[in-house]
Order: sequence, then structure tokens, then C-alpha cells
Amino acid sequence: MRVLVGVKRVVDYAVKVRVAADKKAVDLANVKMSMNPFCEIAVEEAVRLKEAKKATEIIAVSIGPKAAAETIRTALAMGCDRGIHLTTDARTDQELGPNSVAKLLAKVVEEESPDAIILGKQSIDGDFGCTGAMLAEHLKIPQCTFAAAIDFDAKTVERETDTGTEVVSFPSLPAVFTADLRLNEPRYATLPNIMKAKKKKIDTKAADSLGVELNEGNTVLEVFEPPPREAGIFVDDVDGLVDKLKNEAGVL
Amino acid sequence: MLASRFLRPLSTRCLSTAVSPLGGGSGTLSLFSPSEEHVGLREMVRSFAESEVEPQALEHNRTETFNLPLFRKLGDLGLLGVTVEEEYGGSGMDATACVIVMEELSAVDPAFCLSYLAHSCLFLNNLNQNGSHEQKVKYSPGACSGEIVGGMCMSEPGAGTDVLGMATTATPKGDDYVINGQKMWITNGTVDGVNTGDAFLVYARTGEARSDVSMFIVEKGMPGFSLGQKIENKLGMRASMTAELVFEDVVVNKSQLVGQLNGAAICMMRNLEIERVALAAMSSGIARRCIEEMAKYSTTRKAFGKPIGDFGQIQKMIAESYAEYMASKSYIYNTSNNLDLSSAGNVMDSDGVKLFAGKMAKDVADRAIQVLGGNGYTGEYRVEQLWRDAKLLEIGGGTNESHHKNMTKWFGKAGTTLP
Repeated sequence: MRVLVGVKRVVDYAVKVRVAADKKAVDLANVKMSMNPFCEIAVEEAVRLKEAKKATEIIAVSIGPKAAAETIRTALAMGCDRGIHLTTDARTDQELGPNSVAKLLAKVVEEESPDAIILGKQSIDGDFGCTGAMLAEHLKIPQCTFAAAIDFDAKTVERETDTGTEVVSFPSLPAVFTADLRLNEPRYATLPNIMKAKKKKIDTKAADSLGVELNEGNTVLEVFEPPPREAGIFVDDVDGLVDKLKNEAGVL
Repeated sequence: MLASRFLRPLSTRCLSTAVSPLGGGSGTLSLFSPSEEHVGLREMVRSFAESEVEPQALEHNRTETFNLPLFRKLGDLGLLGVTVEEEYGGSGMDATACVIVMEELSAVDPAFCLSYLAHSCLFLNNLNQNGSHEQKVKYSPGACSGEIVGGMCMSEPGAGTDVLGMATTATPKGDDYVINGQKMWITNGTVDGVNTGDAFLVYARTGEARSDVSMFIVEKGMPGFSLGQKIENKLGMRASMTAELVFEDVVVNKSQLVGQLNGAAICMMRNLEIERVALAAMSSGIARRCIEEMAKYSTTRKAFGKPIGDFGQIQKMIAESYAEYMASKSYIYNTSNNLDLSSAGNVMDSDGVKLFAGKMAKDVADRAIQVLGGNGYTGEYRVEQLWRDAKLLEIGGGTNESHHKNMTKWFGKAGTTLP
């Protein structure tokens, strides 16, 4: 089985982001960037498949600026075999939308014919959570999203829902899987593997050379911080609470 | 199981968004990370340090115990043998790689880092540079994996800065040598507080002349080799076990002699160079953490209606700390980038970086406590431990006085014209 894994370069999850002065985007100048945490989980799952001899090759793909090559190198250091880098200068946190990414990944899948595609369930900058599902639709293949456990032998996936987990089965490969937090705990790349990663190959192409329309027609109007949380009030009794909820908050 | 790396407590998270331009943006090449491997190494160690070393630092400092399981994880990551050839189980990297690991670990737990130094640099690197193939085959793989914990015995109760005044002797007897004496301040001298550590490079006098010292590998369990005492109640570096080791007629086969008989002085001096640069890197890590804590606190703590960072005294402490830290760091990495581990004669800068960085970290840590005020005086805010740990770097691995001596002596030998 050959596996394709998507990895995205995003703002490091621990950074306290600031909105840029023009309120059009988050300020990324000099900000620490890392691999999206859910992509790390996806890579880990693929590497474990290889270690269990269920996968023979893992390809890491990233769409992003020149620096995204570092994110691919991290994936290689964790155990992927080779990388594909689709370069773009579009902002990957808001200009390049999930449908464009899904269409680009579909092109890569058509070229590479992997048996399984594992993505993170969402990126922590865009937070759309759509790319995996859109990719499966473009390819007309099964999708198992929010995976907490994947069993390739039984062809089942335990997936997270708002009320607990459920087990679904997929009929066949190829299929798209998106990784949720509890799927696994990603490894640290060991120093010997970091050194080996240098020799692994990364194929670089421009994202706009694949014949995919990248403009989704969405414009970001404004980016702003949520208003600071205000202090609460005490109410005297249940009637008072119902009154506030109905007449002030308008939620009843 | 939730990925613990993604659930670090808020207090340990980086709140700054700005990264120094000299250091490059995250992941880019710079003086401090001169190749892609160095970049990858730094990211990996920092991530590991923040997630796994930070949470255990305070407790191990309190109990004065060595975290052996965590130490072995360093082995799994390939960090223990960072400068050892791959043939012997190591990662085959350079002085700067060693410095990077030291700096990143010291930003969260200098004591744990000190035990790492004694093992990876004072034992493994020394053996890698000076040992025979057979000796390396015998000891390096187990040390690189962390199965055995190693150290080095140089100082004695009566000889510190005057290292060649050592009194421990190794007397030839047939095919063996018999070692007698005591060694003091041995990091990893014990791991459990009861027995000796696993393997040590031991310097002993084997001839009449002052510099007639030789180096032997002594193993735990050799008759006559015992733990004199675990040194307790240290000011700092408390999670690193320090010991007095006793040698009473310890018989070692001549196969345990490392390098030439009476030829260990050069091995000692050569390894002291990387040791001193590595210790300077510890000071750098301590300072970096202190500056981050100061900067963070100054934006959140309020007094007289505004963040304390608005006051000049706080601004002065933070700004001066940053400049001193960057000057020291640049000196350290410039030195390590040009330090060939197989060479000797880099005294000026290996002593120089430690002399400079040691004081710098002590000053920065002191300012950090001052900025944090009462909170800085308590363990939870971490800077008090860093302040206590920082002081060691003016004593261990060479006192300030030894650096003064070495550096001025070097001028005498090499002339007084600078580059």
C-alpha cells in the first residue's frame, strides 16, 4: 500500500497571533511557523503503517511558499520517503481555499495513484476542516473523516462525533482519511533521521502549473480579534434568568 | 491518548511573536543554525524540551534526583552520541550540534542538561576522539543508547583548578594498572545515590613529571571502585547527581588505558575546549529563558495602572539582558562553528566564551528575578532555579580564575597580536 500525506506549514500552535494593522489578515512577520498539528498526526499514522509493513512508500505533499520545503523535510525526518512541493505565493491561511487545495491534491493523486490519502482533519489557521471531504468528492472515492483509529485490515474507522465515537466501514481503497487528535501521538524526529532526511528527494512544481483554477472568488473583508469576554451578572431567580435569556440575549 | 505535546501548560508557551532577525525566522539558516540538519535538530530538541523536560524540572530540583528514564529518551532521539561516529552508535555531528542541544535543554532544565553534558561530551566525545577502535566498540553503543551512564573523573578533593596537581595514581603491575585516589565533583558519579555510575574516564598520575597523566576507563563493579558520597544540598544543578568517587587498589587491565601512557594531558586539554563551549551554551540557554520570562511578565504584570514594561528600570533590565545575551550567543556559535573536535589549541575562545557567558547568564538571571519581584523569588516562576543553576558556570568545567590563567598564558605563547 502506498500512502500520500498532506502537510501544511502554519503558525505554530503556541504563538499568540496578532491581527495586522490593516485588519486584512493575521500578522505573520517573524512569527514562528510549524507543521500543522493534525498533519503531524497524519504523518505519524502513515509512518506507523510503514513500520508495520502495511505501507511500502509514504509521500509527503505540501502546498505553500518556498519555506514549506522545511515542513516537508520535517515529514521526511519523521519517516516519509519523498516529498512533493507545490509552490505558491498566495497566503495559505486565507487566500488559498480548501477547494483549491483539494483540486491540487486531486491532481497529485491522479499522478501518484496512492492507495490511501491521510490529511489532518483541519488546519489551525484556516480551520475550515473541508479539504479532506472535498478531495474525496473530486476523486469520487470514500472518505472517513475525524478518524480516531483506522483499521486497514478490517476496513473500519472509528471516528469522532460531537456525542462520542462511531465505527464506520469503507468499501475499498483508495480512500481519504482525515486525522483527529486522538488518532496517535506523533513522534519526535530522531537526529539520525533528521540527517537522513537531507538525502530524500523533494519534487518542486509551481501550483499554478497544474491547470487548476486557484481563485475561489472569496474575499476576506476583515480579520479581527473576538471582543474581550465581559464580566457576568448575578440573577435573583430562575424567572430572572429566563427573562434575560429571552429578552436580552435573544437565545430563547 | 491525547497528544501531550499539544497540551503544554499556558505558562510555558512562547508568547512572543517576534523572533530575532539575527537568529533568522523560524527554520531558516543562520549563524546559530548553519545547516538544515542544525535547524531540524534545534526544532526537535526545543519541542522535546518544552513538552517533556520542562514539566519535571521543578520536582527533580526539589528532590535532587536524576531522571534516568528521561535521560534514556535522549538516547532514543540520537542525542547522547551527538558527536560520536555513526559506526559506534552516534549521530556523527559537530561542535555546533552539541552546543544547540546544550542551549535548548538548558532553557528548561540546566541540571538535566549538565548530566547530559557529562555523559555525551566528557565521556562519549572524549572516548570518541581518543579511544581505540576496540574501546569504542565496547563502550560507545551502550552509552549512545543510554543503557550505560558515563562521566569523567578529573578533579579531586585537593586539586581543582590545579588539575595537574592531581594525586590519584595508576601504578603498573604486570599487564594491569592499580589505581588509588579520590575524585570529586563527578557529575553522574552516581545515578541512584547508592552505587557508582556505570563507566568513567579517569585521569591518574603515571609518571614523575607534572604532566605525566594517563586516562583509564573504569567500570562500575570493579573491586575497590566505590561511591564515596553523593554531594547533597548543592546550590543549583540539583537534579544532576554529583559524587565523590573512591579508588582503592582498583585493578584495570592495560586494555583500559586510553591513548598513550603519560599522554593524556593533551586529551584533557582538547576535550576541555568543547566542554567549555558547551558550558557557555548552557549559560546561553539559561539567559534566553530568563529574558523570555522577563519580557512576558513585563507585559502582563501591572503597577500604577500600566504594565511594568512601561517603566524605564524594567526596560533597561530587559534591553541590556537581550544585548548581552546576543553578544554572548554570537561569540559562542562563531567559536563552535569553527571548532574542529579533533584539534586542540583553541584555548582563547573556548575559555573566552565560558568566561563571558558565565557572568552574562548570572547577571541576566538576577535581573529576571528582580523584574518578576516576589514571584521571581518562588520556584513556580522558574527564574530562581535558573539563577541558582547559572552560578555553577563560573566554577564547574573551569573556574573563572582558570580561564584568566589559561588565556593570559596563551598570549605569552602565541604573541600579542590579535586577528
